[in-house]
Amino acid sequence: MKLIYTDSLVIGAGLAGLRVAIATKERGLDTLVLSLIPAKRSHSAAAQGGMQASLGNTVKGMGDNEDVHFQDTVKGSDWGCDQDVARMFTHCAPKAIRELTNWGVPWSRISAGPREVIMNAQKVTLNEAEEAHGLINARDFGGTKKWRTCYTADGTGHSLLYAVDNQAISMGIPVHERIEALSLIHDGKRCHGVIARCLITGELRAYVAKSTTIATGGYGKIYEISTNATICEGIGQALALDTGVATLGNMEAVQFHPTAIVPAGILTTEGCRGDGGILRDKDGHRFMPDYEPEKKELASRDVVSRRMTEHMRKGKGVDSPYGPHLWLDITLLGREHIETNLREVKEICEYFLGIDPCKDWIPVRPTQHYSMGGVRTNATGESPQLKGLFSVGEAACWDMHGFNRLGGNSVAETVVGGMIIGKYVADFCEQNSLEIDTALTQKCIDKLQAEIDHLIDGDGKENPFEIKIEMQRIMMNYVGIFRNGPELEKSIKELKALLVRSKNLGLKCKKRHSNPELVEALRVSRMLRVALTVACGAAARTESRGAHSREDYPQRNDKDWLNRTLATWPDAESLEPVLRYEALDVMKMELPPGYRGYGNDNTIPHPDTEKRVQQINEVIASLGDNPDRHTLQHALMPFELPSHLQPRNERLTDTLKTMPSQPVGNKPL
Amino acid sequence: MSRQISFNIFRYDPQDGQDKPKMERYQLTETPGMTVFIALNQLREQQDPSLQFDFVCRAGICGSCAMVINGFPTLACRTLTANYPDGEITLMPLPGFELIGDLSVNTGKFMRELAERLKLWLHPKADDHDMHRLENPMAPEEAARIYELERCVECGVCVSACATKQMRETFVGAVGMMKIARFEMDSRDARTADDFYHVIGNQDGVFGCMTLLGCQDNCPKDLPHMQQIAYLRRKMAATIL
Amino acid sequence: MSAKTRVPTAINGGPYGQAWSAKADCLQSVTGLILGIFLLFHMHFEASILLGKETFFHMVQFLEGSMFSSTDHGFPIVTKIISVIMLVIVAVHAATALRRFPTQLGQWRAMRGFMSSIKHKDTQLWFWQMITGFLLFFLVSAHLATMILNPEIGPHLSAERVYHDNAWLLYVVFLPIVLFHGIVGLYRVILKWGVSSNRPLIRTIAHVLIVYLLCLGTLSLVTYINIGMELVLPVQPFIPN
Repeated sequence: MKLIYTDSLVIGAGLAGLRVAIATKERGLDTLVLSLIPAKRSHSAAAQGGMQASLGNTVKGMGDNEDVHFQDTVKGSDWGCDQDVARMFTHCAPKAIRELTNWGVPWSRISAGPREVIMNAQKVTLNEAEEAHGLINARDFGGTKKWRTCYTADGTGHSLLYAVDNQAISMGIPVHERIEALSLIHDGKRCHGVIARCLITGELRAYVAKSTTIATGGYGKIYEISTNATICEGIGQALALDTGVATLGNMEAVQFHPTAIVPAGILTTEGCRGDGGILRDKDGHRFMPDYEPEKKELASRDVVSRRMTEHMRKGKGVDSPYGPHLWLDITLLGREHIETNLREVKEICEYFLGIDPCKDWIPVRPTQHYSMGGVRTNATGESPQLKGLFSVGEAACWDMHGFNRLGGNSVAETVVGGMIIGKYVADFCEQNSLEIDTALTQKCIDKLQAEIDHLIDGDGKENPFEIKIEMQRIMMNYVGIFRNGPELEKSIKELKALLVRSKNLGLKCKKRHSNPELVEALRVSRMLRVALTVACGAAARTESRGAHSREDYPQRNDKDWLNRTLATWPDAESLEPVLRYEALDVMKMELPPGYRGYGNDNTIPHPDTEKRVQQINEVIASLGDNPDRHTLQHALMPFELPSHLQPRNERLTDTLKTMPSQPVGNKPL
Repeated sequence: MSRQISFNIFRYDPQDGQDKPKMERYQLTETPGMTVFIALNQLREQQDPSLQFDFVCRAGICGSCAMVINGFPTLACRTLTANYPDGEITLMPLPGFELIGDLSVNTGKFMRELAERLKLWLHPKADDHDMHRLENPMAPEEAARIYELERCVECGVCVSACATKQMRETFVGAVGMMKIARFEMDSRDARTADDFYHVIGNQDGVFGCMTLLGCQDNCPKDLPHMQQIAYLRRKMAATIL
Repeated sequence: MSAKTRVPTAINGGPYGQAWSAKADCLQSVTGLILGIFLLFHMHFEASILLGKETFFHMVQFLEGSMFSSTDHGFPIVTKIISVIMLVIVAVHAATALRRFPTQLGQWRAMRGFMSSIKHKDTQLWFWQMITGFLLFFLVSAHLATMILNPEIGPHLSAERVYHDNAWLLYVVFLPIVLFHGIVGLYRVILKWGVSSNRPLIRTIAHVLIVYLLCLGTLSLVTYINIGMELVLPVQPFIPN
């Protein structure tokens, strides 16, 4: 048995995982990161458009602050998020941006003076303040009141990942590459590390640690067409689920991005629309204003995706051999803008579609993009059930996204969450000792070894590739943008049948070392359990909230469903998860449930909502005229943060004696 | 419209003592918009589950899938099979890297070692900024210039396309020099020309480069290697004059 | 965190210090540049025979310093001295260029293996430059040895050497090789130091120059052969009108 000990073990070397690793290494803890691939290849690199942080440097962002970002995030989540966490997040986002600047991220900067932008398909001239020259710029994204999305052209995730990984390298944090964590070592109460398999040699290793942090990203690849990388297969969620103890939260909350290219399913950033791109139908008609006259193309992602699907169902889609699609038109932005700020988009169009987006419209349709659900943690990032198990980033349900994530909030979550949770992980490692239970570890290794032996030496007949493709098709067809009871039931039935078949896998390639078929076989049953958790959660939730949209239950039902789905899989032999629900307490909310601003307000209200609104009004009244916003916030919903992250964020407007003059045509602050 | 295409794929499992490097031939039916990524996965799913290759983002962003396609090292995920009118596609692993098996090479290990050797990270100036305060301004043009060089995805194509590197194990290759150029350009970096000279002002760095330009001609991100390496060379030469 | 300290010997390694490699690289480029420019002038001076024996005669006298002579005749010793200087430059160029040569068998194999698996024009160009460079070491030495031992130049004396002493055999081989090596070398040195980064333009100029100089050189050679055929032995030096 090969045992490797460390203090802080991180699974996944994307932005979130690396940021946690840096936080624990900074405190002098022995830190080790496991990754399927080289760190810089992680899917974080694919985030194009940007990272939200309320810096308020640009003229269209002035007046922005944590409060506005918080409100956008909560509304975006359709009130499904944990508001404490959203507060922690919005407070630290500007700090993370500025820290990343010191690590080398070349954020796009503001040039003082006039600049031409496209807004609502019109050319508009903005006048940036002299004092803002050289500060970090921001672009517009969907579902936000202010221009808040900081960016480096359209390679934001790439720049961030490189800067953070470089930082990790400078600190000497080892990343064990091509290692796949396949099960957690735990005793039902405490997590002691993972059992992992080396993808090159096939060796099984036990990584024993004080803390284990799952930062493996989302589970998009349970769907047939997804913008996600091939490695986003939900194995991190399966690690937690397979303990039978740890819970997954809101797994049915799956986001579909409006603009992935057809047929490859590769993302074109929301920045395309943020910078002024528009959506057109088969007649070339700009249809979004018909549905969302106010926000148009920049409504929240779930809304735009649904409207697009609706429009295609009306026969307005462009027919193609791959089904109908719509057009994304960025030609109006001009070649110069596209070649500087949307370079990756241009490259993708050239290589995969053979078109020039400066001249041609891009074929797009809504495609699976993000997993709001994940390993349920409390605000410190720790699993409420398994001590020592942490999770961060897309892998987690820390729950700042609820049922829909705003564009630009995912990259932000990775580094902000990593910064905050990393601190708590470090605290945990300092307060706890390494517990090595060799018998338990051996048992876990033996179990995985038996699973591998069974796959290689067993007489199973099922083909893992076929089962996976079948699963992806089911999820695509029945657990998509619009969902309904009969289809969800069908998906559950078919997925269960697949899970049964997956117990009878047989391999053609019998190698025990680098064997892609074995890798696939080990993953497919895990992915099926994750897929079933999504489908069962979706079938049980008889309301529509954020990205979870039920045709048979179109209303958001705060009365019965203002809660978080928690899933466990206590019986390994069972074919479905056990679902429980955790209520969201309206009486503690800073922003009580309300109208999100899209379509008709058909919400079934929660009985406490009115009470809470009244209570909030009383608090505001008690603070007198014009209370300081920090005082007010604290009075409504105090939240915890590590002390070094508590200081307030300075903004350009705080350092100016007089506010920069507003150019004609700009809306007042 | 669908035609049969043939793949000649390098096969070798270095961990299997019995195995010898060989080329294997596969055929499949082309579908519209088919990329080498789609084709290889289809081959693995339907014909040979032992076939090894690396893909991650499959969108030309992560740099995992570089291989030599009909004599040109490039990213396989965004290479359309339709680009080859005769339907003959030969795939070889990137030369110059440790072979894991078939088309899979260990670029990650190489890049990490290079980063440690050349100290490829920002060395901030002493006045390290407070994250609660307003950030230091940077010229917008500088940020844009740095991003141009940041677009490197460490795919390894420049290394495998460089005859100098193939002949000289210790040569840092274009990727190393380009990253140095990126930090040299960054006003936030504390290192001086002298510091960089110690790292690349030698036979394994800019003075070992023979300007064969395999790097620039094959770079999937069209990075300006020629210009940047020339700039570094002038700068490094100036430090000894 | 500063890189002031030297990185381990893996980079700085080898038998030579850092300054050496920088100097060697500069020297190779400078000597190459001198030789290349010399070649351009040389080709034109010698082609003045196309304008008639008279022109060539005066050109030679002028270049041999006739303005310092009372007799209107130059000093052949000038040719001798220039030849010696050129020989030294060639020697330095060859010595500094030798570091590029694959000196070990393994390097040679890597080079050949690379060239067979990766298609890259500039690398192939360099390969031929290396081969021509190797040949030139002998050809230039032979040519310069003649000029040092027997520095008399003139319409008849040169023609005699070309035709009757059978030097045309040398020149037929020498001309294309030296042109290829020289012009490709100039192309590379311009890109290497970033004198211009307009590679397509430089490449076009190089192509045009090679063709033009090849024509010019061939025509001159034919002219000398023609003159040589008309001469009666023993040859009398040309006397202008």
